[in-house]
Amino acid sequence: MKRLLPILLGAALGLAAATSALAIERGGAMTFARYDDSTVIDPVYADRNPDLWMVTGLYETLLRNGPDGSIVPGLAEGYDVAADGLSIKLKLRDGLKFSDGSALTGADVVFSLDRARNPELGPWAGLLGAVDKASADGNQVTLTLKNPDPTIVSILATFNTGIMPKAAFEKAAGANDQEKARAFFEAGPVTSGPFTMKSRVQGSSMTFERNPNYWRPGTDGKPLPYLDQVDFVIIPDDATRILKLQAGEVDAAEFIPFARVGELGADPALKMELFPSTRIVYAPINTRETRKDGSKNPLADAKVRQALNYATDKNVLIKLVTFDTGKPMTSLMSAATQLHYGPEPLYPYNPEKAKQLLEEAGLGGGFEVTFTTLAGSADDATLFTALQQMWSPLGVNLKVEQVDNPTRGEKNRSGDFDIHTYGWANDVNDPAQVTGWLGYYKQRQAVGTGWNNEEFNALFEKSNVEVDPAKRKDEYKKMQEIYADGAPLLFLFETPFAVAVSKSVEGYVQTPLGANDFSEAWRAK
Amino acid sequence: MPSLSYLMARLLQIIPTFLLVMIFIFLFVRLLPGDPAIAMAEAKATDAQLEQIRHNLGLDQPLPIQFLLFVTNTLTGDLGRSIMLKAPVTEIILTRLPTTIFLALYSVLLAICLAGPLAFLAAARVNSALDVTIRSVFQVGLSMPVFYIGLVLLTVLAAQLRWFPVGGYGTSFLDNLHHLMLPALSVALYTSAIILRNLRASLIEVLDADYVQFARAKGLSPHIVMTRHVLRNALVSTVTLLGLSIGNLMSGTLVTETVFAVPGVGRLMLEAIFARDYPLIQGLTLTFAVLVSVVFLLTDIVQSWLDPRLRQS
Amino acid sequence: MSIVLQSPSRKASRVNAFIGRAFSRPSFVIGFAILALSIALALFPQLLAPYDPLAFDLSAIQQGPSLAHPFGTDNFGRDVLSRVIWAYRVDMQMAFFATIFALLIGVTVGAFVGYYGGIADTIFGRCVDAIITFPFLVLVIAIVAVLGPGLINMYVAITAVNWVYYARLTRAEIMAQKSNDYAAAGRVLGYSDRRIIFRHLLPNAISPIIVYWMTDMALAILLGSSLGYLGLGAQPPAAEWGVLIAEGRNFLLTAWWMSLMPGIAIVLTGLGFSLVGDALADLLRPKGR
Repeated sequence: MKRLLPILLGAALGLAAATSALAIERGGAMTFARYDDSTVIDPVYADRNPDLWMVTGLYETLLRNGPDGSIVPGLAEGYDVAADGLSIKLKLRDGLKFSDGSALTGADVVFSLDRARNPELGPWAGLLGAVDKASADGNQVTLTLKNPDPTIVSILATFNTGIMPKAAFEKAAGANDQEKARAFFEAGPVTSGPFTMKSRVQGSSMTFERNPNYWRPGTDGKPLPYLDQVDFVIIPDDATRILKLQAGEVDAAEFIPFARVGELGADPALKMELFPSTRIVYAPINTRETRKDGSKNPLADAKVRQALNYATDKNVLIKLVTFDTGKPMTSLMSAATQLHYGPEPLYPYNPEKAKQLLEEAGLGGGFEVTFTTLAGSADDATLFTALQQMWSPLGVNLKVEQVDNPTRGEKNRSGDFDIHTYGWANDVNDPAQVTGWLGYYKQRQAVGTGWNNEEFNALFEKSNVEVDPAKRKDEYKKMQEIYADGAPLLFLFETPFAVAVSKSVEGYVQTPLGANDFSEAWRAK
Repeated sequence: MPSLSYLMARLLQIIPTFLLVMIFIFLFVRLLPGDPAIAMAEAKATDAQLEQIRHNLGLDQPLPIQFLLFVTNTLTGDLGRSIMLKAPVTEIILTRLPTTIFLALYSVLLAICLAGPLAFLAAARVNSALDVTIRSVFQVGLSMPVFYIGLVLLTVLAAQLRWFPVGGYGTSFLDNLHHLMLPALSVALYTSAIILRNLRASLIEVLDADYVQFARAKGLSPHIVMTRHVLRNALVSTVTLLGLSIGNLMSGTLVTETVFAVPGVGRLMLEAIFARDYPLIQGLTLTFAVLVSVVFLLTDIVQSWLDPRLRQS
Repeated sequence: MSIVLQSPSRKASRVNAFIGRAFSRPSFVIGFAILALSIALALFPQLLAPYDPLAFDLSAIQQGPSLAHPFGTDNFGRDVLSRVIWAYRVDMQMAFFATIFALLIGVTVGAFVGYYGGIADTIFGRCVDAIITFPFLVLVIAIVAVLGPGLINMYVAITAVNWVYYARLTRAEIMAQKSNDYAAAGRVLGYSDRRIIFRHLLPNAISPIIVYWMTDMALAILLGSSLGYLGLGAQPPAAEWGVLIAEGRNFLLTAWWMSLMPGIAIVLTGLGFSLVGDALADLLRPKGR
């Protein structure tokens, strides 16, 4: 009996531990270390990632992105697109309330959508360009469109259409919408999302408090969120942010450098989360016939661009830069994007093929290329060093030019580059955004490369008004094939979002679009 | 105290300096490649949207008009709106500046506490083993980059020993003393090395000086000799040195604020440059200029108060 | 003041005596030895570094110090010792090029302004005020942002700010020397102003400037490393101590050698400059002033 007791006790304790890991606990707070501060968290004015990745924490959208990327109901119980694709009806849930207890009605929705599509205000208005009119009758909301828009449903699940309280916003001080937005935010805004903002010290910290009137129920049937409070601290330096986590002063730290993923994963107190993302790392190639300085551009030949892609060993780059957390690109868009098509990695490493392609292009004797990187970026430095070593056997003499971020943007826009590094993450759960950005000439000259493929452009325009999902899918497949073959990019890799979280916190998610989702996070006591 | 006319002359000198600073910084930020519109909407905006942003920011106006606006607005105390932080520049600086000043003063205080007593010890026994040891230790402090000292302090004292929080900023005065101890110390190690060197040298000089020897010979107690003559004269050179090194101190805080995640104006300046935030860069530069000018002026005043010889001239 | 009149042979013997006195001081000897070694490493890194400082070796990632790699390896398997040695070339260059032009420009401007005074001096005063109102690092960072990151632009940026300090120092020294008898004697003898400034005044004013230069070279290394750390100075993959520390900062606990070794190199070199500078300051201090 004496011997049995410890065993029984152990079993009982083990059981208790197992159940507590399953049962969600409510209450408590968590502290989250961020790499940068938000400025104004507003659906319309959010223009930097630290802003727009926080918007849905405060403002709920009519529809939501489900965990598998499908569209699920949000504030609206569901949606109904008319057969001609020219109108959408949505019915709001009953009894919706803002955080201050006031009712959330159709008028608030119309107000929010009208703000969101006003091109005078924020940078995202174009996403609602097809909307002709938003109207409401009680809880019934109707959007009429100028033309069919297959992306509109996704946009209604995107942060920029978050619902704000009309009355409270209009009461805020300020001469124009921008000043009102800031005053409204600074005062601790009335919100529709899972949290409200309790306090903020610009550049230093911010506190989110549970919104007691949030509609969505948790697994225990009671409304989310589980946590009472989320505290944010701003630690821009990667090493310091991690030290803070290791010292136990915070519960989670975002943007862990990939170099440290292995080390933190081995820490028994931490979980190293690698959230699937839509983030891609790529390098636009200038495809214009001549360079900015007027000299002939060898990269104008698609064969040369293909050759450089073949000469790039992505697996080595993935090891060196992402420490094996990344994966090769299979299309212009990440595999986590809707309508992605790419059965296998693009341009697997093949130096012979690269050599042959260069000879076909008449450049077997080699040539010089400048690689523009971001100054001070260790990743870019690694990419350059590795590419230089990989390409030199082909006679490609790779030179480096280091610039800061705005200078790189300027060079991209004026076409003053050969190849430069770039990154992207989708903001919208629809492929049109990334495809338009990377490939559609009329938007941004195909990410500044000058690549102008008429078939691709026509397909893109067609797909943007295509209401038949099957046809749209075909169009996207074709576009992705054309793009891969034209190779206006050096296709590098996809990377996850690396967040290290204390073992005592469960349920935090960073979505593939980057949004920080604390609504279902909880703390074991 | 220095005469009123002297102070007036000093203040008048500041005016052309400030005009130069304003012209310089105005042209300077516009020389930076790329502009706020590109930095702001870097990835996602179309060219037409960029033009709209430029128009909204008033960047499409001719330079002389922009400059005139800058000067007249500055005179009325309006430094414009930060593009990056979407808030009035004056408001941002007023919330962030106290942190940096706190950090700077804290580090000066620490530096004096570190270097002061040790300088006396070293000067009392010139070239003794104690003197050499003290000097070598501080010499190492002088040769260490601030960011490296910061990293090491952070790792050892904060993350390993948990004596201090890892970076960040506190909520109350005492809390801040605790939070900012390490950043202040990493700046102070450098400053204290300079102070020690200077203080030791001037102490040696003063102790040798005729009037001190004379005072001793007169039979004044060592205590009085020390406070009346030695201390006062050593202080003059230290105050001058500290005043002149204000620029260095601000540079030091810039790096430390980055390493320790302290939300001051130093780190902000760096961010503003990378965001091409013209109004914020301009506002911060002017703030630095005012700060440095005030410190120089104060140095002058304190100097002439401490050193009677300067008062007459 | 006899320098004007002394003969070349007396000058040489004075220099010899000076060197003799210098080398009898342990602090100078140590500092000199450190600097001599640093210069040797900067001139011949290829002879002394055991490995290629840039070559990746993915089979030897972050190995601790061993016989094969006395300073260990970094996160790409590069030999840290070789990188620290090659960094001597970059950092010693920084110490020299970031200061020498500032010295030449500053001394020239300072000498003329100090000699002539008047309106030139007033304009100079206002410019100096304007420049020193900016924190040094901020100004350098801003200039580097305009020119683009990299070593040469960094030299330009530092020189653009730093000459002012030399100019101020020289101006003060020249003003003090100007009133001396031998300057007046030179004018009476009808020497040109240029000759009086460069042949007579400057040689007497130069020692504090040389002493300051020594300290300034140590400061230039610190500044250059800070810029490297912030991503604005020497650019990776090039080896520079600030860059090496920046690369190692993520591994302070797991691979401490990555940042410690270049840290020691900075401290040691800085120490070398300071020791030599201090000793020179002592030796050159005018007696009886």
